[in-house]
Amino acid sequence: MEHNEKADITRKAPAMHRKWGMAIDLDKCTGCGNCSLSCAQENNLPMFEDDSDIPKRVFYLDLMKVTNDRDAQYPNVGVVYIPKMCQQCEGNEPSNPKPPCVSVCPVVATDVGDDGVVSQIWSRCIGCRYCQASCPYEARAFNWWKPDYEGRFKESLNPEVSVPARGTIIKCTFCSHIWKRERDRAVANGELDINAVLYTPACVSACPTNAMVFGDLNDPNSEVSRLSRDARAFRLVHSIDEKPADEQKRLRGIKNYPNPKVYYLTSHQWIRDMMRFK
Amino acid sequence: MKKFIDLLKNEFNSYSRNIKITLAVLFALVGLFIIFGIQILFWGLGYTDMSNLYPFGQWIIGDLGLVALGGGAFTTGFFLYIFRNDKLEPIINSTVLVGFLCYLFTFVFLVFDIGQPIRAWFGYTYPNWGPGLMPQSMLTEVVWCLTFYFLILCVELLPVALKHKVLDSIPFLKYTGHYLHKIMWIFAAAGTFLSFFHQGSLGGGMWGEMYAKPVWFDHFYFYVTIVGATAGGTSFMALIAYSAGKVMKKEVVPWETFQSITFISGIMSIVYLAFRAINVYRMASVFVPAVDRSFMDLWGGIYGFWMLVAEGLFAVAAIVLLVVKKFRSQERLMLAGMICAIMTSVMSKLIVVLHGSSTPNFPWRPFAEYAPSFQEWAVMLGGLACMALIYMWAAKYLPLFPHLHKHEHEEH
Amino acid sequence: MKKIDRKDFLTLAGGAVAGGLAGTVFSGAPIDALQWLVEWTQDQYRPLDGREHYLRSVCDACPDRCELSIRMIDDRAVNIQTSNSACPVGQNALQLMYHPERIPQPLKRDGRKGSGKWTTVTWDQALTDIASKINEKIQGNKRHLIAGINKDYNLTSALLDRLIAALGSKNSYYEAGLEAITTSSLGGVPQYNFENTDYILSFGARILEGWGPSGSLLKAFRGWKARGTKLVMAETNRSRTASMADEWVPVKAGTELFLALGIAYVLIREKGRNSGGAGFANWVTYISDYTPEQVSSITGVPAEKIREIADAFNRAGRPVAVSGRGAQGISSSSAEITAVYALNSLVNSPAVTLKKHTGLGTPPMSQGAAQAYSSAEPKKGLDDFIKNGEFELVFINEANPVHRSVFGSDMKTKLGNAFVVSFAPLVNDSALYADYVLPSLSFLETKTTAGDAAVAPYAQARHAGQAIIDLAGKIEEIRGAFNWQSYTDLIREGSALGAAGNFAFNNESLKSQITLLKKLLSEDRNYPLSLIPYELPMLGDGDGLAFPYILKNIDGNTYSKKKLWVMINRQTARDQGVSEGERIDIESSRGEIGSVRAHLTDTVAPGVVAIPLGFGQKANTKYAEDKGVNPKEIMNAEIDPLTGNADWWLTRVKID
Repeated sequence: MEHNEKADITRKAPAMHRKWGMAIDLDKCTGCGNCSLSCAQENNLPMFEDDSDIPKRVFYLDLMKVTNDRDAQYPNVGVVYIPKMCQQCEGNEPSNPKPPCVSVCPVVATDVGDDGVVSQIWSRCIGCRYCQASCPYEARAFNWWKPDYEGRFKESLNPEVSVPARGTIIKCTFCSHIWKRERDRAVANGELDINAVLYTPACVSACPTNAMVFGDLNDPNSEVSRLSRDARAFRLVHSIDEKPADEQKRLRGIKNYPNPKVYYLTSHQWIRDMMRFK
Repeated sequence: MKKFIDLLKNEFNSYSRNIKITLAVLFALVGLFIIFGIQILFWGLGYTDMSNLYPFGQWIIGDLGLVALGGGAFTTGFFLYIFRNDKLEPIINSTVLVGFLCYLFTFVFLVFDIGQPIRAWFGYTYPNWGPGLMPQSMLTEVVWCLTFYFLILCVELLPVALKHKVLDSIPFLKYTGHYLHKIMWIFAAAGTFLSFFHQGSLGGGMWGEMYAKPVWFDHFYFYVTIVGATAGGTSFMALIAYSAGKVMKKEVVPWETFQSITFISGIMSIVYLAFRAINVYRMASVFVPAVDRSFMDLWGGIYGFWMLVAEGLFAVAAIVLLVVKKFRSQERLMLAGMICAIMTSVMSKLIVVLHGSSTPNFPWRPFAEYAPSFQEWAVMLGGLACMALIYMWAAKYLPLFPHLHKHEHEEH
Repeated sequence: MKKIDRKDFLTLAGGAVAGGLAGTVFSGAPIDALQWLVEWTQDQYRPLDGREHYLRSVCDACPDRCELSIRMIDDRAVNIQTSNSACPVGQNALQLMYHPERIPQPLKRDGRKGSGKWTTVTWDQALTDIASKINEKIQGNKRHLIAGINKDYNLTSALLDRLIAALGSKNSYYEAGLEAITTSSLGGVPQYNFENTDYILSFGARILEGWGPSGSLLKAFRGWKARGTKLVMAETNRSRTASMADEWVPVKAGTELFLALGIAYVLIREKGRNSGGAGFANWVTYISDYTPEQVSSITGVPAEKIREIADAFNRAGRPVAVSGRGAQGISSSSAEITAVYALNSLVNSPAVTLKKHTGLGTPPMSQGAAQAYSSAEPKKGLDDFIKNGEFELVFINEANPVHRSVFGSDMKTKLGNAFVVSFAPLVNDSALYADYVLPSLSFLETKTTAGDAAVAPYAQARHAGQAIIDLAGKIEEIRGAFNWQSYTDLIREGSALGAAGNFAFNNESLKSQITLLKKLLSEDRNYPLSLIPYELPMLGDGDGLAFPYILKNIDGNTYSKKKLWVMINRQTARDQGVSEGERIDIESSRGEIGSVRAHLTDTVAPGVVAIPLGFGQKANTKYAEDKGVNPKEIMNAEIDPLTGNADWWLTRVKID
């Protein structure tokens, strides 16, 4: 009986209650770069002979090297690598997410899903770069040149991610295609509840020190949710988080805030200090 | 073929030396425009100096500037047809043509600026309208407004074009032109209405929507740009007609027309200055501190605070020179005033794009730099040269300045 | 029938055209045409689809033997995940395997050496020709002029060592990596039990940035916090490892040795510790000058701090003191390695043991070979061999001394006069000077301890170990020493570790090193600054530069818009009149490297210029070619008497 019930695809799909988020423990991150390498491989990022024109570089995961040169002198300086991808902002109202980039797109090439992930349709984008200008985290990359893959490099491309055209914006989608792959697999096994399927993005699965944790922020028992409430947690350049609750409420009445779904953890005060402009 | 070349040769030789040089330069620029335009369209935007950190560059400044200044056509039309300021009658044909060219070339620059021009029609088929009455994406609004309003300009231009001696000889077209002219006030009103939206969207709303970028975010900027367009645009229309008169060495537009339009520009500059002050105050006191940044620290790098100071000074100068009759009635000061009013508008666009894009998003990043590449200059200047050539052609073959013809008839 | 007049004809024709147009429009053909136009103008590549399946394998690239899960689409590997996903070698395997410049079959030089012109030949032709060249050396009694240079200790290097020995030569060298210099300093490689230690004292070893067995190290690192393991890092510049350490001890440039001696002094004199090892008694008297106060004046570390570290080290149950400065490009003197190892020995730490690569043992030799072998006098290390040695026939196994040795330009000249055989998957700077380049495999194409290779080898590429066995089969004299059909018979033996003998304190080396160091550290008006290397994640000592996805990780203050950057302390830069982004030249007594840009940061110590390693390659695919400058050209080239390799860590320089 139960089997039949599961196989009944006409049954109404259960409502989504996932909200994917990430927590990155900078105390554990050595800056090895495996996340970025794995991301590039999984997402078929374009390969260039000379990728040293950094402002035009196409990548999702930027391993930002941050020092506190601004505030300190030798020997009180520190070095940290901050892996930064799309922060999957949601705006002030989580029930009605409004990332800065979604509302500005003239052709609905980017949207926010009910799982909180900001999507991007390569083939819809007309390349106006309005979303890029609106993004406070520099998370979106524009294909200034045609993505080209020399010779045999083509053989290592992932068929689940299409190659973008020149002149379009691409971005990190928390490897949504892996989730789709996992869901397809679950459906093939008779599982129809979308909420039953978990997955791991490429960067997280490549992290050798387990510094990156991925999961459902809506599930209070998930590790990522626990970490997001940790005292060491902060979000990139999001100073409103440090204010008292009523002040936060007042400020949110004045304007929207990005409210990213990627949390960083550190026990170093200097890293938190570097998140503020002086 | 040989005949045709000879025809061109004779045509070219029939002009004075100054015009010959001007034409040569303009055609050279158009040549560059074509060559590098093809490069940009076929091989991508990699040849520009725009980047992921600096997504908007020179062409956007051009778009914003042309839209703002071209908006003067509607303001002038509005004052002429709705407020019945008949002093503006002699300049209206010229302003309509300039407005038409400005919007046409806004489209052209936009086509170069987007990465996938071949997908530009997605703006009509997949508009990001959102749930409300107004489109959610300001760029959607830009595309639609620009389209409608470009169509209106076409209609407004039609009577002028129909006055061409060949077309004028066909009775049907002659009367069409005549009656279109009679109902032009409807189009002027609709155009002004759309213009308000459009100035707001491309000029102001576009930036006011980006709530995560403190360097841009303020809803009020919407109104600043609307007013800015009326102030700068009217002066721009006057300047174009003035320059045409200087080049043709004739009085193409009567003195009182200039006096009237520049006075309007001066008055609007006062409103602009007030609005801009409110905008700066709101940003400095509310929105920028709300994200724990200081307004002054947003200004840095090569595009510093001096740009805002310069904008303010230009506005004040425009007000003094254009509002006070004693100054306005002196030709040189009037000219200076017009230029100041235009520069106010241009400066505000430079600030929004150059300074806005250069401000860092992360505290450890320096201010970004941008130096337009040769291709960007070629397309930009080439586009402007195209506009100039079309205007010159129209000045020669169309009744752009009815005042001139009146005089010529009187002389005969 | 009514004749069709002109008017009718026009009407009909017009109607036909209008109808045709309307039909075309409403058929949707324009949309199709537009779609076609869109696709045609984009010329967009579509990744090939196929049957998805997963393969299990093991990475034999290092002793950690990570388990792999490889995502396959038909017979193409598109993703690799490892059990501990720890090292970039695993992640990067796809880029190496599918590199467009992989060598498909043996290359024979065609043109000047270094010109990069090749003709392809068959394996048989190549090996026969090489064998005949070897036979010439045998007959010409030039056995001592045959040499082999390896990169790492592994199966292939063991086979190459055996080949060289079987031919009667002792000229078997390893690039100056961690294992090579520790083996020659201590007689073995210290095996640190990072999984189970409570106190790590690192002397410039950037153990979290790709140093040593990086996979197992990062795996062990996960548990340090929970176990309360403390990491103390003594280093001049603030590296990422120093930033992650529980404590960073900033030492003056190049003085790690003295800090180790100072700690040893405290352990011996104040804690009553004692060590085994020949020559210890003399060593103790020799270091008796290095009181914490004396060391403090040399290193800049307060005497209190030295005592504190010594005390913590003494009290820890399973402490490890780690030497080998750098991440992947390692440079330390034998005196430093010995002094640091002595700390482990003094506290008798159970977390450190000394092991040695056993290789495949001495092969049976012909009479001629045995005679030559017994009278051979090899150099101590590769740099010594390049500078002072002689060779006429050399095998280069994955190594790249032309780029990585400070004597790279000498090496170029010498390779130009010798017959050179290189095993490599990509043509690197050294292979550029080869007479034959024999294509080797990436690890996914290699048979492993777990069984068959995951992916079929590319074209005619062959495992380098297999190539050596095949070559030996063509040489009459040594055929008997290689009684294997295939390298797979040897997979387990190749890189095995055995017990090392007792290490000895080499006081002569210590004496000469201290003299050299003191000279280097003393004020020099001509060269007031210290040049110290650093490495980028994954790019390491230069191999990573061949891969486009690694290029994406290079930050703007290292290599940007085709310019290499160096880091200079802010105050020092101010004193030198250098501003951010300014173009400078760096000059040492060995020469000058030009046109690098300066990044001002206080993560480097006053008086120090930090320069990235790995750049300035002349080959290694078009992705690595001609990017930046190679600092090894001007780096310190004093050869250590024990390791036989240059200690290039610290170089005195000036900037213009």
